[in-house]
Amino acid sequence: MSQVPEVYVLGGYQTDFARNWTKERKHFAAMMREGVLGALESTQVEPAEIQVAHVGNFAAELYCKQGHLGAFFVEVDPAFSGLPTGRHEAACASGSIALLAAIAEIQAGWYDVSCVVGIEQMKTVPASEGGDYLGTAAWYEQEAKGVEFPFPKLFGKLGDEYDKRYGLKDDHLAAIATVNYANAKLNPSAQTRTWYMNRSHAGSRDEFNAAVGGRIRVIDCSQVTDGSAAVILASSKFAQAYARRRGVTLESIPRFRGWGHHTGRLKFADKVAESQGDRYVLPHVRATITDAWRRAGIADVNGVDGIETHDCFTTSEYMAIDHFGITAPGESWKAIEEGWIELRGKHPINPSGGLIGAGHPVGCTGVRQVLDSYKQVTGTAGNYQVDGARVFQTLNIGGSGTTSVSFVIGRA
Amino acid sequence: MMAVGLRNTAEMKNILGTRRIEHVVVLGANGAMGYGSGALFTSAVPRVTFLARTKQKAEDGLKAAIQAVRSSTVANRVDTGDYETAFDRAVSQADLVFEALAEDFDVKRRALERVDRTRQKDSIVATVTSGLSIQALAKGRSESFRKHFLGLHFFNPPNVIVGTELVAGKDTDPGVCDFIEAYATRLLGRTMIRTSDTPGFAGNRVGFKVLNEAAQLAAEHGPALVDRVIGPYTGRALPPLATIDLVGWDIHRAIVDNIHENARDEAAATLKLPAYMASLIASGTLGNKSGGGFFKKAGKTQLVLDPRSGSYQPVGELKLPDLGYIDSIAALQRDGRYREAMALFVEAPGPWAALARKVVAGYVSYAFHRAGEVTKGIAGIDDIMGFGFNWAPPSVLIDTIGLVKVIAMIEEAGLPVPRLLADARSKDVSKRFYMNPHGNIGRFFVAA
Repeated sequence: MSQVPEVYVLGGYQTDFARNWTKERKHFAAMMREGVLGALESTQVEPAEIQVAHVGNFAAELYCKQGHLGAFFVEVDPAFSGLPTGRHEAACASGSIALLAAIAEIQAGWYDVSCVVGIEQMKTVPASEGGDYLGTAAWYEQEAKGVEFPFPKLFGKLGDEYDKRYGLKDDHLAAIATVNYANAKLNPSAQTRTWYMNRSHAGSRDEFNAAVGGRIRVIDCSQVTDGSAAVILASSKFAQAYARRRGVTLESIPRFRGWGHHTGRLKFADKVAESQGDRYVLPHVRATITDAWRRAGIADVNGVDGIETHDCFTTSEYMAIDHFGITAPGESWKAIEEGWIELRGKHPINPSGGLIGAGHPVGCTGVRQVLDSYKQVTGTAGNYQVDGARVFQTLNIGGSGTTSVSFVIGRA
Repeated sequence: MMAVGLRNTAEMKNILGTRRIEHVVVLGANGAMGYGSGALFTSAVPRVTFLARTKQKAEDGLKAAIQAVRSSTVANRVDTGDYETAFDRAVSQADLVFEALAEDFDVKRRALERVDRTRQKDSIVATVTSGLSIQALAKGRSESFRKHFLGLHFFNPPNVIVGTELVAGKDTDPGVCDFIEAYATRLLGRTMIRTSDTPGFAGNRVGFKVLNEAAQLAAEHGPALVDRVIGPYTGRALPPLATIDLVGWDIHRAIVDNIHENARDEAAATLKLPAYMASLIASGTLGNKSGGGFFKKAGKTQLVLDPRSGSYQPVGELKLPDLGYIDSIAALQRDGRYREAMALFVEAPGPWAALARKVVAGYVSYAFHRAGEVTKGIAGIDDIMGFGFNWAPPSVLIDTIGLVKVIAMIEEAGLPVPRLLADARSKDVSKRFYMNPHGNIGRFFVAA
């Protein structure tokens, strides 16, 4: 984004994704509040300094019978009364769409300080009902209605398509799950940090790792998660003043260096039909990634020190590996076998644990990915820190590989 | 902050390099603590031997371990045996012997004597006990045993509750404690708390004081009212008497008797087991495991104990006083307004709010009086109450209510004000007490 004004990330906060807010008898208003107040506290930005707020959320109407989530931001602090706010929805990419809106407004010069919150409360309903709600991220009537757990089945088909074009071993998918769970154990906010997991369990085939849709088993799935994450974005004008008052250099504050955003056909079968003959199974996802590089002035994946990707299922991370160009198309298994995607590997993916390990509060995930990238490039990720990281990239996907957003976040 | 964390990480790595744990033997592997901890060990250790009185019981423990963590792969790392034929061979090969036998001093002492005779000289021996003296259990053992012996107090169920107490005896090698702390933190995902070898250690000392006080209050006010008044809204996942039913009345008695007899602190009166509990335990009332305690179910009807008569009546037929103040507090908590909720708690009129404040003030006062006695500082007590009991740590209550108001609550209850709080009041009333950056204080206030 060299020709356009810079947008800085001052920091943020996420709630502990292991919490069950229904058991705590909490409304998502509490989750919004904890996320936003946590972000203000950790950045030492005053509520009165926030000029606009964007909320990413997928389906509060279904899970909580409540819409109009932008208005809930105003409830957090008396200083927010009258603030311009809004809510953004693009299924699992809702958080990233909220971020894009906030970035564009700052670049347009409308505002200098923006708070972006991603939020989802999902444990309000039984698993099967929640699975049905998630089906609305597909073409519900044609792909999900009357189908038990439609999304594992759709992402099972992504695996099947890889298998057809290039060959795919389930053992490589189990390895992806194992890495995500192992990383999550290092993340004090990850949902699965205390769960029992090892490589042989990930590869097991009994009742404790049942099939849920096609080749997708329990360990291949991301989690049903309650959580919010909030980040504070700023113009260079505000970031300069902020750096001065914090006694740090402007260069030490990360900024959005690039972004990509494309939306494919809604139905999975249509996406796959369109990509027949292409080297990439989901070409618009590849374009999203390369757009972000181009805007960031980065040639390829070697220009980023790590990736927070959308592993809603192991097959989506398998897809991401070759779409990021870590391997040639169809050869993602090589990166898995070589250990490149592990925390200490040459292309670490999801040091946080990702959606499988850290958890996947649907509308929150895009914001959580940016927050984790912020932590990585500022050296504040604690035990899941990628040594020396300066540039990180996200990939957030809504639906069955439909709405795709990627950000490159880095210092200097 | 960050630099300290990194130094700790480097230190931990160095300490972890000092020895290897490749074989753990679990004694009492058919009990909940035995198989639960055994399952946990398999996540880091290549070989775990489950021992019990019979091989069948050890096998039952393995089955329970598989169910507990929901993975058949536990069996890949576990072998089983009985005490008669497998004990000596397994213990002589083990890097860590984990004793999880019944909470009975003589049973444990006899087993540890046998371990002492058999173990390889550098192996670590850990006991899981809810409060028996580590020093007393080590008495009479060899020098090598005493150097390598410590208390490792997992809370049940160990694969879910991460708060864990580490207790050294007088002769325990500090290097062994450092290693176990690093090992359990990094490889078993524990939140480790170092405690003194005092009755009930830290968590049970502070926690059962509150639980027993609730049981005492139930004699006069009845269990249903007490559990509502000292309910989740006061900073706990489960009401106190329901907790005693879950833990078991016999375990409750063992813990409070031990503390009452051996600790003799300023709150001794609240640690005396109520007479009605003693007589009901004698006639077989042990809580949920015996079919009921303070509460039980008859079909779909929830029944509650009348401590005076020992009989039960449907909860629905009770006439509780107006407790609308609790609904108002819970409504604020539901929306995440924890400070406002607790401000309402402090101001709430009537005898029941006053009673709740007395118990909460007693908890904070007692916990801060124990800082320096059962743990080095209040942080250890905060961690075990938060991550062992799932209660709002005392420091969280102070940060949420405000120091001045908490001191006023303690004074109003006629309880001693801990020096740590009095000092803070004279220096900096806005001092923040809870220091865990990942604590999510809101989680401790359940809106009910």
